[in-house]
Amino acid sequence: MSGHGDKSRPTKKHKSSKDDHRSTIVEDEDLYFREETEDDLRDGDKEGKKRDFTKLELKPDHANRPLWACADGRIFLETFSPLYKQAYDFLIAIAEPVCRPESMHEYNLTPHSLYAAVSVGLETDTIISVLNKLSKTKLPKEMIDFIHSSTANYGKVKLVLKKNRYFVESPFPEVLKRLLRDDVIAKARIFSEGAHGNDAFTTSKAMGEFGGTHDGLLNEAELAAAAEEKETHSFEIDPRQVENVKQRCLPNALNYPMLEEYDFRNDTVNPDLDVELKPQAQPRPYQEKSLSKMFGNGRARSGIIVLPCGAGKSLVGVSAACRIRKSCLCLATNAVSVDQWAFQFKLWSTIRDENICRFTSDSKERFRGNAGVVVTTYNMVAFGGKRSEESEKIIEEIRNREWGLLLMDEVHVVPAHMFRKVISITKSHCKLGLTATLVREDERITDLNFLIGPKLYEANWLDLVKGGFIANVQCAEVWCPMTKEFFAEYLKKENSKKKQALYVMNPNKFRACEFLIRFHEQQRGDKIIVFADNLFALTEYAMKLRKPMIYGATSHVERTKILQAFKTSPDVNTVFLSKVGDNSIDIPEANVIIQISSHAGSRRQEAQRLGRILRAKGRLQDRMAGGKEEYNAFFYSLVSTDTQEMYYSTKRQQFLIDQGYSFKVITTLPPPDSGADLSYHRLEDQLALLGKVLSAGDDVVGLEQLEEDVDDIALQKARRSVGSMSAMSGAHGMVYMEYNTGKGKPAGQGQIKSKPKDPSKRHYLFKRRWASPLLIPRN
Amino acid sequence: MPQVRIIAKNFMDMVSALPAMKLDKLYENPFICEAILRSLPPLAKKYVLQMLYIENPILAKSMEEWLLADGYSKHKVALDRLVQLRVFSEISDSRKRETSYILNPTFQANLQKHLVYGGVLPREPMSSAITNRLPSLEDLEAYALEQWECFLLQLINSAQAERHSNISSSMMKVFQRGLLSQRDKEAPKLTEHGFQFLLMDTNAQLWYIIREYISNSEERGVDSADLISFLLELSFHATGEAYNVNTLTEFQKCIIKDLADLGLVKLQQGRKESWFIPTKLASNLSVSLSDTSSREQGFVVVETNFRMYAYSSSKLNCEILRLFSRIEYQLPNLIVGAITKESLYDAFENGISAEQIISFLQQNAHPRVAERVPSVPENVTDQIRLWESDLNRVEMMSAYVYDDFPSRDVFESACDFDSGLLWEDSKKMRMVVKGEIHMHMREYLRRQK
Repeated sequence: MSGHGDKSRPTKKHKSSKDDHRSTIVEDEDLYFREETEDDLRDGDKEGKKRDFTKLELKPDHANRPLWACADGRIFLETFSPLYKQAYDFLIAIAEPVCRPESMHEYNLTPHSLYAAVSVGLETDTIISVLNKLSKTKLPKEMIDFIHSSTANYGKVKLVLKKNRYFVESPFPEVLKRLLRDDVIAKARIFSEGAHGNDAFTTSKAMGEFGGTHDGLLNEAELAAAAEEKETHSFEIDPRQVENVKQRCLPNALNYPMLEEYDFRNDTVNPDLDVELKPQAQPRPYQEKSLSKMFGNGRARSGIIVLPCGAGKSLVGVSAACRIRKSCLCLATNAVSVDQWAFQFKLWSTIRDENICRFTSDSKERFRGNAGVVVTTYNMVAFGGKRSEESEKIIEEIRNREWGLLLMDEVHVVPAHMFRKVISITKSHCKLGLTATLVREDERITDLNFLIGPKLYEANWLDLVKGGFIANVQCAEVWCPMTKEFFAEYLKKENSKKKQALYVMNPNKFRACEFLIRFHEQQRGDKIIVFADNLFALTEYAMKLRKPMIYGATSHVERTKILQAFKTSPDVNTVFLSKVGDNSIDIPEANVIIQISSHAGSRRQEAQRLGRILRAKGRLQDRMAGGKEEYNAFFYSLVSTDTQEMYYSTKRQQFLIDQGYSFKVITTLPPPDSGADLSYHRLEDQLALLGKVLSAGDDVVGLEQLEEDVDDIALQKARRSVGSMSAMSGAHGMVYMEYNTGKGKPAGQGQIKSKPKDPSKRHYLFKRRWASPLLIPRN
Repeated sequence: MPQVRIIAKNFMDMVSALPAMKLDKLYENPFICEAILRSLPPLAKKYVLQMLYIENPILAKSMEEWLLADGYSKHKVALDRLVQLRVFSEISDSRKRETSYILNPTFQANLQKHLVYGGVLPREPMSSAITNRLPSLEDLEAYALEQWECFLLQLINSAQAERHSNISSSMMKVFQRGLLSQRDKEAPKLTEHGFQFLLMDTNAQLWYIIREYISNSEERGVDSADLISFLLELSFHATGEAYNVNTLTEFQKCIIKDLADLGLVKLQQGRKESWFIPTKLASNLSVSLSDTSSREQGFVVVETNFRMYAYSSSKLNCEILRLFSRIEYQLPNLIVGAITKESLYDAFENGISAEQIISFLQQNAHPRVAERVPSVPENVTDQIRLWESDLNRVEMMSAYVYDDFPSRDVFESACDFDSGLLWEDSKKMRMVVKGEIHMHMREYLRRQK
């Protein structure tokens, strides 16, 4: 590039930014490495390296400041500080929550969290100065350097679609120049007529941030700058080259990842969709907040919003679509949730029936008019094989349309390659990902953040519990001792493939399960879901207890029928689900979960299953703290003691525990004075059951092998997941299939136990163990 | 090794255990009398004051008339204590079958004097002209705690001890007796008692050490009554004031150096004079242990996710927490750790019980969570107990295996021989019997031959 003249920065600067770039990548790796070792450290038995930061200098007024920041990126926040609320809002914007129980929260600064911070308008200096203000000690130099190096390039460049022309926009002309030194980008550039000379950029004013998310801290003078209007510079690029330009800007190339913003108000080319939220659709405060992050500067940002299951993700999605008011493509994981999304759109918005359509293997609808909403599955879009003529036509329409909003549900279950495919097939101005449990990127999907966008908002599980927005769940781990005979077989080498079947079919577990079902059905009139990953066990349990069940091979029609009966019939109060029920199947009536077998050490499965009963029921005032019933939902995890399950169980709970949930251990179910009328009371019955388990083929008693389903992405994954036992089990910190989520991306903060309890309100199984008859004398 | 009982009741328990002669000698010091009076249960205090000017014995029966209907058990406790301390003497009249009580005359006279003239210490605080700047109370308290911690770290032989106090190693050995054990040439390890000791609060620890110090005094040729009386006298000195060392006897001068090492006093050297300044630890000596107001503030927050946050910059606290948790971060005024199964198993192995850990966490709960019920989350306390009981599922007992029976008859009769049979395999003719019947069994089998 010649002719920069005095406008170009000295080469020195250029060099240093190159260094920056390298160091960022190195730190990336460091960070992952660190997170993994820490994972080990938390789970493992070794003492691990202690982090000694006692040399940090305490500020004299440290008692008034709410947090400590460590050189390795860890931040501790006191929740009882008067500055807590401001500090919390700030931290959640710049750091990943690790755990958020009652008194002390932990966060980690990561490159991704800082990327997200920058993308919602926070600047490097703002981050450092606010952090410094809140910190009890002087900020460690390492942390300041880390923030500098991580944010140096992030958020500097935006890709804006205005009147169907793509512009690369930045407040820093030197950054644009740097990008233009790249061949691919230089070639993609389109010179607009008004521009004079090669290096001149179009300048314009962009609207500053509004919405006082950090007011407490940010309204101080030095931070006010963030809200001022800024001059931005931009150049136009060829729409056909957009993907390539974006690719060049990713961290593995130029490392100026582009934020995507959609100036939908000024989009006159794409037809408007006549849709509005219905008056009765009142977004809750946290839903408002997440939307304000998305539409903070009058444009629509791409990114991910994390809300717990049952907290109303669909209303957020529908609201976003209603604000943008352009065509919307909504992607779900399976056909059942496609139906549910379509229903949600009709429920919350004024969309006309002819403007919304579903596209699945069973239903191939098309909307009329020039704008509309299409709800489909990831698989339908990404499907690579031959399609029917009708599907082909619809897919062609999807491909050709410019979507205002690409709404992606349950982004945590979708593998990166599928995202790439979906995103390359569909052209969209704005992408919104929704999930309950945000994942940590592994090497295959390192740039998920960059494919969709940064995390825009993450809600807090237990804050929502306190507000009565989601159910207050009592979690319990029920210890079921193995019967002598089952344990003997369990220990035999030749039964290594049947271990799972043996500990799941443990008669004591069966009896505990039967007891719980009876208790909740008869005494409380609850609706119960029983989860079993092991198909053999699922069938045995369901048959013996004469309850309906749903697993991979159950047809869509039958599923719908069973779920309908479960919802409406007073006689069907329990349903058995295999892991097809983990995600997306919406069963708002259920308020009890009994888990008899699970996918080894998967933290996310545990959270997803819990999510099935999080939808709040009953009246708000009863649910809120101090209401009629403190706990209105119950999550039981049945584990056979002294088996692998115990080990997995601890791992699985980690995620929820980090959200502030606590698991109560119950050691005697059924209670010693009852149980004679439960199944397998007699030894002969138990032995017959054992015989059945042992005589079944190894293939029968193993994990569920699901059939391929064109609609269902979760199912395909299940097939792929055959791997080494330790990897699947979570022994390596790997979680549930494909992601290594580490701990605590998702939100949640626990004040579940903040107040003294009125014992009379407590479910009798949870009364104080040490005063209750449930306590078994140790043997 | 002598069995050390780690019950730090209070000073008075120790005083009451002194032989009668020594006890009477102690009461010659009015300060002891006041200290004793302070330590008494409320009802006993009342009795002493009621009888302060009565010189004749009072019948037990007439005392009982003072009682409310439900007050008998308290009355009994009060009387027992008074008799135990020889403040009351019991006079039984076998003829009339009557018991009566009289106040110890020395005690009575001293207390009367004390009441009239007030307590006069054998020494006056020095004027500030000489001492000029004395440490502030906060500084003094910090100093005391620092000294105490330094002493404790040295006591448990921690590598964290930065400097060594001047306490002689023989003295240190005395203190360590029962707290540390040393096998052969290994580094000394904390014993079960040692761990319990560390989990106690500072006052309780102080009592324990002082008790050892006193009970060991005779070996050093120091009269224990003198020592006790000096210690109690010391506790009546004003905290933070300077007292001239020259007012002390030679014996006391010697003692005061040890006390400085423990943090009970701070020694300062002026241009000409030298003086000692009693700290809060010294004044706590005469305070009853059950008095919770003297407890230091709690500092530990335990969360439902088994994470533990300790507001402390003390190395000693860090060492204590390390006994049962995994320390992850150390910040200038915060220690972050996690209670894990592994860390607890280590603790259990070292003889710390789940109850001790739980009560330590509860007693030291940070004020923010101390009011919460429970102050330590229930799921954490439950889990700690469950992990402990999990370890106790296997019972070990000695046993003997018998095989190679000459015939099936002998085998079968041996099986029927005693109830000590634990296991048998009739096919291979093997059996296992309890250790305690091994001798009988052997005898029995010999006879079968």
